[in-house]
Amino acid sequence: METFFRYTLTLLISTVAGFQFVQVITRYVFETPVMGLEEVAVIPTLWLYILGAINASREDTQIRANVLDIFLDTERARHILLIISETLSIAISIWLTIWAWDYLNYAWRVWKETPTLYLPTFIYDSALFTGLLFMTLFTGWHLLKNIQFMIKGGPSADQAVDHDYPDTSEVAEFSVLDNHEEGRSRG
Amino acid sequence: MVEIALLGFVVLILLLTLGVPLPYCFGAGLMVMTIIGDATMKGMMVWGFNQLTNPVLLALPLFVFAGTIMSVSGIAGSLLNFVNVFVGRVRGGLGVVASVSCAIIGAISGSGLTGIAAIGPLLIPEMEKKGYPRAYATALVANSSILGLLIPPSVTMIVYGWVTETSILACFLATLGPGLLITFNFAVINLIVSRKFPLVLDEPMEFKAMMKEAGKRTFNAVPALLMPVIILGGIYGGVMTPTEAAAVAVIYALPVGFMIYKGLTWKTFLASGKESATAVGSILIMILFSLMLSQIYVMEDIPQALVEKIFELTTDKTLLLILVNIFLFAIGMIVNDITAIILTAPLLLPLMTAIGVGPVQFAAIIGVNTAMGGVTPPYASILYLGARIGEVKFTEIVKPAMMLILFGYVPVVFLVSLWPDLSEFIPRAFGY
Amino acid sequence: ATLKLSHVRPQGTAIDNDAKWFAGKVKEATDGKIKVKIYAANALGDYTVVQERVSMGAVDMAVQPPASGVDKRFQIIYMPYMVKDWDDARKVFAPGSAMRNTVSDLYAKQDIKVLGAWPVYFGGIALNKQVEGAADANVDKGVKVRVPPIKTFQMLADNTGYIGSPLPFSEAFTAVQTGVVDGVIGSGAEGYFASFRDVTKSYIPLNTHFEIWFLVINQERFNDLDADQQKALEAASLEFENRRWESAQTDQKANEKRLADAGATIVDVTPEQIDATADKVRANVWPEIMKDLGQDWAKDVLKDVVAR
Ligand code: NA
Ligand code: NA
Repeated sequence: METFFRYTLTLLISTVAGFQFVQVITRYVFETPVMGLEEVAVIPTLWLYILGAINASREDTQIRANVLDIFLDTERARHILLIISETLSIAISIWLTIWAWDYLNYAWRVWKETPTLYLPTFIYDSALFTGLLFMTLFTGWHLLKNIQFMIKGGPSADQAVDHDYPDTSEVAEFSVLDNHEEGRSRG
Repeated sequence: MVEIALLGFVVLILLLTLGVPLPYCFGAGLMVMTIIGDATMKGMMVWGFNQLTNPVLLALPLFVFAGTIMSVSGIAGSLLNFVNVFVGRVRGGLGVVASVSCAIIGAISGSGLTGIAAIGPLLIPEMEKKGYPRAYATALVANSSILGLLIPPSVTMIVYGWVTETSILACFLATLGPGLLITFNFAVINLIVSRKFPLVLDEPMEFKAMMKEAGKRTFNAVPALLMPVIILGGIYGGVMTPTEAAAVAVIYALPVGFMIYKGLTWKTFLASGKESATAVGSILIMILFSLMLSQIYVMEDIPQALVEKIFELTTDKTLLLILVNIFLFAIGMIVNDITAIILTAPLLLPLMTAIGVGPVQFAAIIGVNTAMGGVTPPYASILYLGARIGEVKFTEIVKPAMMLILFGYVPVVFLVSLWPDLSEFIPRAFGY
Repeated sequence: ATLKLSHVRPQGTAIDNDAKWFAGKVKEATDGKIKVKIYAANALGDYTVVQERVSMGAVDMAVQPPASGVDKRFQIIYMPYMVKDWDDARKVFAPGSAMRNTVSDLYAKQDIKVLGAWPVYFGGIALNKQVEGAADANVDKGVKVRVPPIKTFQMLADNTGYIGSPLPFSEAFTAVQTGVVDGVIGSGAEGYFASFRDVTKSYIPLNTHFEIWFLVINQERFNDLDADQQKALEAASLEFENRRWESAQTDQKANEKRLADAGATIVDVTPEQIDATADKVRANVWPEIMKDLGQDWAKDVLKDVVAR
């Protein structure tokens, strides 16, 4: 899974950059802009956004404000809060997914086409439902793991929360990038 | 309906405090408006997803990607050496290097994290070796890192310009003045504070030797220094749009990172791609639902109604600006920059327009405030990252960080609000 | 009941004023039972997404150009050089005409009812500088103009001797200002004055296409009104349309004047230049677009227009 996201996301973001780059070169250097290029570019762009969002749910790095973490002393307390927030998240996520399903059906029915190349926009319209569905599933998976953690209890639950080195998605992100940090990241 | 909108906002903040991911917090706001209020979700997904197809928004992932590649590419080292040759022998000079280098990095990256991520690992140990307390060094680099959001390009300004339909190029320039002022403040503060530190200075060098060294280091830094020239020159020189400039930055950074500075490897490239895409995905899914919520607010006329309600209390411009700043500061304490922008910009802009603050000045007000949010506890993502990179406890960084915020940042926040020219002069000079 | 009406221009523009007039008329005719609430300046989304929202019933009404995303045949409206002059345009698009019925049918397939039309202008080209041979289709000017992302306009740019550059509308103004492109095609004096007046240094009234917007309502929403209200709405719409036909031509002149006052040169275009451009465009653009829209269907719709 990690490998899949690593390659797919890098490929998508590079492709998107490539399309824009070609647009500049053809317009500025060759003075013959490619018509319809931006229509093609929308496809990897939206899938990039959505697969990125799915991966954020998978890695549990969706943007959140862990304000209360500062007041929590043990991993147990932190996990109780996580279970509460994840339960709420799933309820909201399901509601959003239902509306995205509605959108998916609509997109299928009207079968929109792009204005110059007449590509079916369903190619990227379908991303939203896919994204929300997987986000719901991954949130559910994290909830299950956290419930398991609570049931197991024991010393790992009594462990103190590390307030000296708070952990956020940004910290995690740069730990991955920073080679000499690799050994201790998320330790 | 205003009452239900406020209820929605309260629910949103409550869930946010409980640690519910932001996209779902906005989703809950939508639920309140449609289930308790009589707004409709019909067609909302079509509208929202359509907003994401706008290529303007694409500048966001591409600038993030360019910044991420930058921070692993090894560019930072050459920049540090370059800046250091000019101020390295001055007492407290290394601290000045921190803020100036972060400002230069800021002209390449659109994010507030690139400075600390790229420069921190090199500069913090070096500063400690030369006698700066480690916590102070970390706080200084982390605070300077915010300049990435104030010196153009800037992801927060892309989002602000896009949400409020203000020229992104004008928004970029709006925070430039404040950004340079803060760079200057940090440099001065550092020169004063570092007088207490037992600093070790570089050996003085002969003028001729120094010039030779300067030449060598400048040559090494050229590929890095060319990047802001290409990006900003390309945008303001009429060669490309901000989105295209971001793409060119990515394409340019690849050979520079792989072949010249060699920090970029296949492995770090893949990691950069994945991390950027994930960061951007989580931002955009949040933006999607926040946009839908503000669209419902627009359909129900909430911003106007809110302005009327506030005007019943006061119409005093200065007082309202102070209140808005306090509000933004409070929001900045608990969420990070882009979140703060999308949470507040659509709601506050009508109020600002009503009291005669233009969208460009407001770009600077909101830009400076939300950037500062990255270093204001309790939720201070840039300081958190600083703690990791500097290997200093978060609680130890807070004190020097607060000092820098108080004397370096807060005065600028007030200036931006009360002195429109600070933010509007440069955009005006460029014809916006 | 309150009907939400979306349009694409800022407050205070001709369409905004007419929409307000319409709202007042409807309120008066229904004794205040129906209120029309106006959302200006794309507040509910650009015209493509608003058309979809009207079709779903999420937005009640709109007055705007037809969007071809859901049905590419809507592009028939944008056929460049389809009508010659204002009199011709009024005949071609009059209620009950073949073209008008075609438009109504296309909208009906989207569950949208056409209440009226709002003719806007004959289109032209706005440039940020003076260009030699600006109105001569056969002069390759090497000048880049921003085109809307619709095939007809992209081909139109190339066939008038410009280099069509696709850019999103939100970036167009800045792009013209910085010089990423040198101008814009696909709109007219009214549109350029609304969105590009500060960067327009010359305007070429080449009559590129006839811009016409339609006042539409979600069909179901319309059906839900009682018969008197429906009548009132239709009567107000007809008057809304007729008033505009009377004033549109003067309004176009007024907008050219406004552009000139804002510092643009209005380039003199001769009828011969327009005819030459029309011939070239009809020969090169029409066959391609008609093929896209379905040869037989397009031929049938255009037969009255071409016959004249
Ligand atoms: Na920046
Ligand atoms: Na904060």
